[in-house]
Amino acid sequence: MAVQPAMPRSWRRETKPHKFCPGCGHGIALRVLGQAIDQLNIQDRMVFGCDIGCSLLAWDFFNVDTVQTHHGRTTPVIVGLKRARPELVCVAYMGDGGGYAIGAQHLVSAAMRNDRITVILINNTQYAMTGGQMAPTTLPGQKTETSPYGRDPDMTGHPTQGPEMVATITPESAYVARGTISRPKQLHKMVTRALENQIAGRGFSFVEILATCPTNWRTNAKNTWKFIEETMPTHFKVGELKVPEAFQAAAGGEGARADG
Amino acid sequence: MADFEYQQKELKRGTFTLFPGLCKGCGLCIEKCPKKCLGWSETLGVYGMPAIEPINKEDCISCGVCSTVCPDCAILVERYGKEEKKKKEEH
Repeated sequence: MAVQPAMPRSWRRETKPHKFCPGCGHGIALRVLGQAIDQLNIQDRMVFGCDIGCSLLAWDFFNVDTVQTHHGRTTPVIVGLKRARPELVCVAYMGDGGGYAIGAQHLVSAAMRNDRITVILINNTQYAMTGGQMAPTTLPGQKTETSPYGRDPDMTGHPTQGPEMVATITPESAYVARGTISRPKQLHKMVTRALENQIAGRGFSFVEILATCPTNWRTNAKNTWKFIEETMPTHFKVGELKVPEAFQAAAGGEGARADG
Repeated sequence: MADFEYQQKELKRGTFTLFPGLCKGCGLCIEKCPKKCLGWSETLGVYGMPAIEPINKEDCISCGVCSTVCPDCAILVERYGKEEKKKKEEH
């Protein structure tokens, strides 16, 4: 057989190259998710829910059952699926607009109820699909279509700290983390843990992933890395915010190695 | 399953395979390469943008960072096994 790209088994090859822009962080985030699916061998009992926004371009990404919902309503749809079929592994995949703006109530409610689902949220600091408007996660001073002079925190507030909020309202059995696509190994660990936490039936699992958007940031490759590795972590701290005791016990003497 | 076309290059420590049909020319790998040995290629990628290729072939250490940061899985880096290494040294 000819040499083939190292795609995860769960990827749907005939839909590749995928629909995301050049340099988009979704590709890396979804590859990490695909590798985690392969590793945990859950491809045949998994439901993948995607939101409106750039994240909906993932609708044909995996060879798994997929549902695409209304904007911000991925969380309740996936919660419903999980309640009807608890044996399934249900993943809600959304952007920062779907999770922190229009879908914030659902995210908060699901976290409060400690629903046994995995929520993966891609944070690229704006609404990318519609041309880069200001989102709850836009950094202070960042120029977007609707904040041409830079975001003014006085008028529009500071960027939403999603994982911090979810970590505050969830019980101890929840898993909450923030990863970045510039550290794929660390991200892989986080996504795997988020899925394992759901499979074990412990509680709500939430991973926010900092992702690149060269198209709307209007950056070249160099500045794209600079923005995600230097500018974004000044507002969004990367790391695990809430780890259930079971993981801490399993890690043992290894310690919480946060770097990737 | 669809087969992707590929261009393979044999470097010092491993093979470097590029799938031009997947490469969108974002350049993330060029910036991330620790040895700065990647550059733009004559081959065009899927969106008509230049694809990438290893330019400074001697510097490549086959670390695989380029393939881990590629959002499209367009790069495959495979290190030589022990036997392949021996063969290389004999030549």
